Amino acid sequence: MTIPFPSLEYFQALQQRTREDSDIFEKLGVCDVDFGAKVGERMFSVRFEVCECVEVREGGDPTALDFVLAGPPEIWREMLQAIAQHGGADAAHTLNTLTHVGNQIQVEAQDAEGSDKLFRYMASIQEFFDQGRHLEIAFD
Amino acid sequence: MAYLAPKDYSKDPALLEAAARKMAGDLDLDWMQKIRERAAFRPGNPHRGLTLADINGGSYGPDSVPELVRHNFSMAPRGAILPKGLPSLGYTLNRKSEVWADAALALFEEGKSRHWAPARDIPWHALDGADPASREERALRQLCSLLSGVGLVCADIAARAVYRLNIEFHEIKYLLCMQMLDGARIAEATRKRALYGAGSLGVDSQALGELLKMVADSDSYPQSSAGLNLHLASLLQSFARHLEWATDNAADAMIWTRVAQDASRFLSYGVDHLRTLLRARPGEAEELNQHLDLLDNGLVGALGATEVIEPLIVLSGGAQPVARLYETLAAELFSRCESAGLGPRRARSPLCDFLKLLPGSS
Repeated sequence: MTIPFPSLEYFQALQQRTREDSDIFEKLGVCDVDFGAKVGERMFSVRFEVCECVEVREGGDPTALDFVLAGPPEIWREMLQAIAQHGGADAAHTLNTLTHVGNQIQVEAQDAEGSDKLFRYMASIQEFFDQGRHLEIAFD
Repeated sequence: MAYLAPKDYSKDPALLEAAARKMAGDLDLDWMQKIRERAAFRPGNPHRGLTLADINGGSYGPDSVPELVRHNFSMAPRGAILPKGLPSLGYTLNRKSEVWADAALALFEEGKSRHWAPARDIPWHALDGADPASREERALRQLCSLLSGVGLVCADIAARAVYRLNIEFHEIKYLLCMQMLDGARIAEATRKRALYGAGSLGVDSQALGELLKMVADSDSYPQSSAGLNLHLASLLQSFARHLEWATDNAADAMIWTRVAQDASRFLSYGVDHLRTLLRARPGEAEELNQHLDLLDNGLVGALGATEVIEPLIVLSGGAQPVARLYETLAAELFSRCESAGLGPRRARSPLCDFLKLLPGSS
C-alpha cells in the first residue's frame, strides 16, 4: 500500500512499525520524548514513552514539545528516499548530519534541555524514521 | 594505618557467646519487629519496570531528606533504622541542594537502558575500506586519542565525588557510578577506534590537559559538576555530533551517535543540578560564573590547540565547518548555563573574543 508524504498516515505507519519491530526499540532503550516533525508548513507531533511510539497526530503546540525538526519538503523527501534506497539513512542523510553545520533541518526548541533530548535519543529517533524502509511512500 | 574499629570483636566474649547461642537455634528475632515504615511499592508503569521513582514514597523518598543531613553519616540506606554507634564514613557533601537533581533518577534508569558495548555493537568491519594512511584517518585517530583521555577524566571526576556524597543522596551516587561507566566507555570506544586495523594513537594536548585539570581540581562539587556536566559534556557532545557529520561509514556513525547520547545525559544532570542549587542558594551564581569564566578560558585553549583544531579542519574539509562547530558549541553551552540559572554568559565569556577570530564569524 502506498502512503502519502507528508501525511498523518505516514507517521501512523511508522508508529505501527515501532510495535512490529519492538525488539529493535527495546534494544535501543528508554526514550521519553515529545517532538515535532515540521515538513514545510505541516507539523506532526510524535510522542515516545518507554521504548514505544505511543502517539502521533497532526499539529500540536511547538512550545509544548521538547523540540521540532523543521525542514523544507524537498529535504525530508531526500532523507526518506535515502532511507528507502539504503535500508536506513546513509551517512549523508542521518538526522544528525542534516541538523549539523548546514542546518538543512532546523532543531527548534524552547531551551537547550529540549534540543539536547534529540541527541540523548538520537538512535531511537533515527530508527523511527529508518523504519520507513518498510513503507512504500508517494510524495506530494 | 587503616581505620581501626574501637572494639576487638574477635576477643569479645559477649559477641561470641551470643553468636554461638543463635547458631544453636536460640533466635530472638527482635529485628523483625522493628520496621520504620511499611511500603507497598509497585511499578507505576509495567513497561518501565520498577523504577527508583516508584519506590521513593514516605521516609524512603528524597523528600524526607533535610537540606542539611546531620542524622546519618553511616552506610545505612535512606529509610532504614539507625542503631546507635554507627560509624561515620566521613562524607563531606551533606547539603542536599549542593548535589541534588530530580532528573538524576530517570537519568540513571535511562543510562542502564540505553547501554551499548563497543566490542560487539559497533560494526568495526565497516572501517575496513578506509585507507589508514589518509589524512582523514590520521586526523580522526588524533581526535580519538584526545577524546579517550577526556572520557577517562570524566570517569575520574565522578569517582572523586561519589564517596564524598552522603548516602542519603544515593540516587546521585548511583548516577555518578553510571557516569564513571559512561566515561570509561567513551574512553574505550575512542581508543578502539584509534587503534583498529592499522591504527595508532596521536599526540596529546597540553591545553586540553590544562582544561581537564581545571575541572578535576575544582574547589567545590558544584564547580566540579559545572565543569564536568556542562563544559566537558558540551565539548564531547558537540565533537561527537561533528564527527558523525564528517563520517561516511556505519561504524563511525554509530560510535559518535552513542558518544553524543551518553554525553547528553551528563548535560541533563548538570543543568538540573545547578538549577536546583541556584534556586536554593541564588547567591552562589556569581562565584560559579567566575569559575565558568576560568573554564571558558581553558576551553579557548583547548579549542585553539593545534592538536585539536587541525585534525578538525582536515576532517571537515576546511575551516568554515569548524568555525560553525565552535559557534554552536559556545551558543549551546551558554544556553545550558542560562537554563541552569546562571544568567546570560555571552557578554562576559572569553569564548566570544575567540569566536570573533574565526572565519565568517557572526
